[in-house]
Amino acid sequence: MSFLDFFVVFCFLGGVVCSAVVALHPNILYAAVALIGSLLAVAGVYASLGADFLAAAQLIIYVGGVIVVILFAVMMSESIYKRRFLDGVKKMFLPTILSIALMLGMFKLLVSTNWGELRIPNYENTTIRIGQALTGPYALIFEYVAIVLLFGLIGAIVVARPNILKKDQDGGNS
Amino acid sequence: MFAGIAHNLTIYLAMSTVFFVFGLFTILTRRNAVGVFMGVELVLNAAAINFVAFYALKADSAQSSPWLDGQIFSLFIIVLAAIEAAVALAIVLRVFGAKKNIDPDQVMELRG
Repeated sequence: MSFLDFFVVFCFLGGVVCSAVVALHPNILYAAVALIGSLLAVAGVYASLGADFLAAAQLIIYVGGVIVVILFAVMMSESIYKRRFLDGVKKMFLPTILSIALMLGMFKLLVSTNWGELRIPNYENTTIRIGQALTGPYALIFEYVAIVLLFGLIGAIVVARPNILKKDQDGGNS
Repeated sequence: MFAGIAHNLTIYLAMSTVFFVFGLFTILTRRNAVGVFMGVELVLNAAAINFVAFYALKADSAQSSPWLDGQIFSLFIIVLAAIEAAVALAIVLRVFGAKKNIDPDQVMELRG
């Protein structure tokens, strides 16, 4: 059992446990902290699959950015420490059955299929190739994502500012 | 017992499946919009794991491998998830300011 096998199994178990906490813990602050663990496990999987730039991007953008935003929203929401964020047993019945059925079906498909051997590349640096791909064959998608980012940020600012409409209405009245 | 498990696609797809199912369960059962958003993050990460795993299935050990599509798409997933976080937090802030509540079941002004 090599170190890579140990690391992949460790990431798998950590990701499974942390995502279970995200799904099942009644306290949303604990769920948000467990989300950090599952995103770190995903970064470990990226690194062990030879996608080093992607693992770094996952660490920086997700764990450094998105998690901070989520934690800010969690801290802002009222009654963090009340156990009210999960539904009652009655409303969890159908989602539980659906989830178990979906998981069993996908695991059956997964085990019964011969996927072939992975050829993990020799952990070469993929940053150069990603940069060449982003400016070459994927340039159009890259520009498209840039436009989506710009308009998403503008839309987020417009939505989050509550005073724009009020000022317009006051100006119209006076 | 686990020898060679890192060179088999099964454990990565199993991790992706578990992430997807727990994310779907989170989306369906949380009574908090931020909780639903965390479920969306789990589902997006499941898709990204699948992309990178199939990249590694197709990757050649030669230096000039053209199979980089999986990594590129995972990168786009990460970037779009970041902007999705910003927009989702803006909507949550606005709804919380208007309703003092971010339970998706209680916010039903747009219900048809």
